[in-house]
Amino acid sequence: MSHQEYKKWQCATCGEIYDEELGAPDEGIAPGTRFEDIPDTWMCPNCGASKSDFAIYVG
Amino acid sequence: MNTQSDKNIVIVGAGHAGGSLAAFLRQYGYQGRITLIGDEASVPYHRPPLSKAWLKGEIALEALYLKPQTFYDSQNIELVLGNRVVTLDPKEKVVYLSGGESRDYDELVIATGANSRRLNIPGSDLGNVFYLRNLEDAKKLAEGLRVCSRLAVIGGGYIGLECAATARAMGIEVTLFERTPRALERVASEPLSAFLTRYHATKGVEFCFEASVAEILGADRASGIRLTDGRVFQCDAVLVGVGAVPNTELAVAAGLECSNGIVVDEDCRTALPSVFAIGDVAMRPHPLFQRNFRIESVPSAMEQAKRVASYLTGKAASAAEQPWFWSDQYDLKLQMVGLLGDANQHVVRGDIESGKFCIFHFSDDRLVAAEAINASPEFFAAKKLIGVELAEDKARLSDMSVPLNEFIK
Repeated sequence: MSHQEYKKWQCATCGEIYDEELGAPDEGIAPGTRFEDIPDTWMCPNCGASKSDFAIYVG
Repeated sequence: MNTQSDKNIVIVGAGHAGGSLAAFLRQYGYQGRITLIGDEASVPYHRPPLSKAWLKGEIALEALYLKPQTFYDSQNIELVLGNRVVTLDPKEKVVYLSGGESRDYDELVIATGANSRRLNIPGSDLGNVFYLRNLEDAKKLAEGLRVCSRLAVIGGGYIGLECAATARAMGIEVTLFERTPRALERVASEPLSAFLTRYHATKGVEFCFEASVAEILGADRASGIRLTDGRVFQCDAVLVGVGAVPNTELAVAAGLECSNGIVVDEDCRTALPSVFAIGDVAMRPHPLFQRNFRIESVPSAMEQAKRVASYLTGKAASAAEQPWFWSDQYDLKLQMVGLLGDANQHVVRGDIESGKFCIFHFSDDRLVAAEAINASPEFFAAKKLIGVELAEDKARLSDMSVPLNEFIK
């Protein structure tokens, strides 16, 4: 199990944050799920932008 | 990969399109110079929250930024803020800024956006008549709403509806005046308009449709409005949301063809070599349709920014996307995809009265658009299904016991 710090990702379309530590349980994404492990078909839960619109969040 | 480290790309306009373009260029491996010029004082920021969370005071300014200020330094993007490009010289490939500075370019991208259409009626320039396009507008509006008990909203588009919802949440009485017979007439279907109007009404918004405002009444502050039919309504502030006009002055003066926006091709190129236009200012043939559009949306700005970044870095363009949009009003999440133009029938999945539904719009058997309220799974499915001939599946869409992924073959 990787002990790498959890990262945050931000939707470039609407600003919504995906926090790896929290996951997105409402959409079946367990807490601790690394962004790269989320299916490519996943969309921003806030605005519907595609997964490819997310970038690492440094905030 | 050709990193073009000796090249110089200048982006005029630091809104969502311009700001995103600068980031995509670096993301796609471009290592040359990038100069991002904007006439606002702020780094690029998200506009949608200005009518919602930001206006309600729920988030701080820094939360609006597309990227933190440190991003531009670490990515070596030169920011020139609070400064306006006043002249473009396409022969010399130079832009001149107010104040006399100039910047040479190898490639120029005009992303000057659009500004609120101004009302031009008596009383338009009274104090507490507000518009909402940018951060400065939003700050003035927020201050005005703090001392407002009755707001007149002129315009039943997204700005009007979102601000009406926010004002109601702040306990302000709202009357909304719309020139056409229904809200969102240009962009939404009749059943969706009707639902939204009913919902707003249950939250206390009063509506006047087919209402043209003749005059804003008041001495130095707005205290009422008078319609062309003579009716007068009291208010102590006015919010105007009657559309946006593309900022084409720079392009027009440089000899570029402009027709409700700067005319570009599918790759966002103008007729001038090395000059592009993207975002709210661009009139562009949409790759999926046989006509030109000037689309005013964040997803479209992003798509065009990616398109130009791909073009300039030799990357293949991503597949074109159907136009899509979102709007938050009260606890309603509206998400829509596709264009209604050819639609001649629709199927509703869910229950409109319960406020959780998706209207699927068809041109005969082909899904052309969908409008979802608090139905993200339906919206996400529709995004994948637009353009597909659904035939006998059409009616089954309304059957909630049929899971959505059955339609996505």
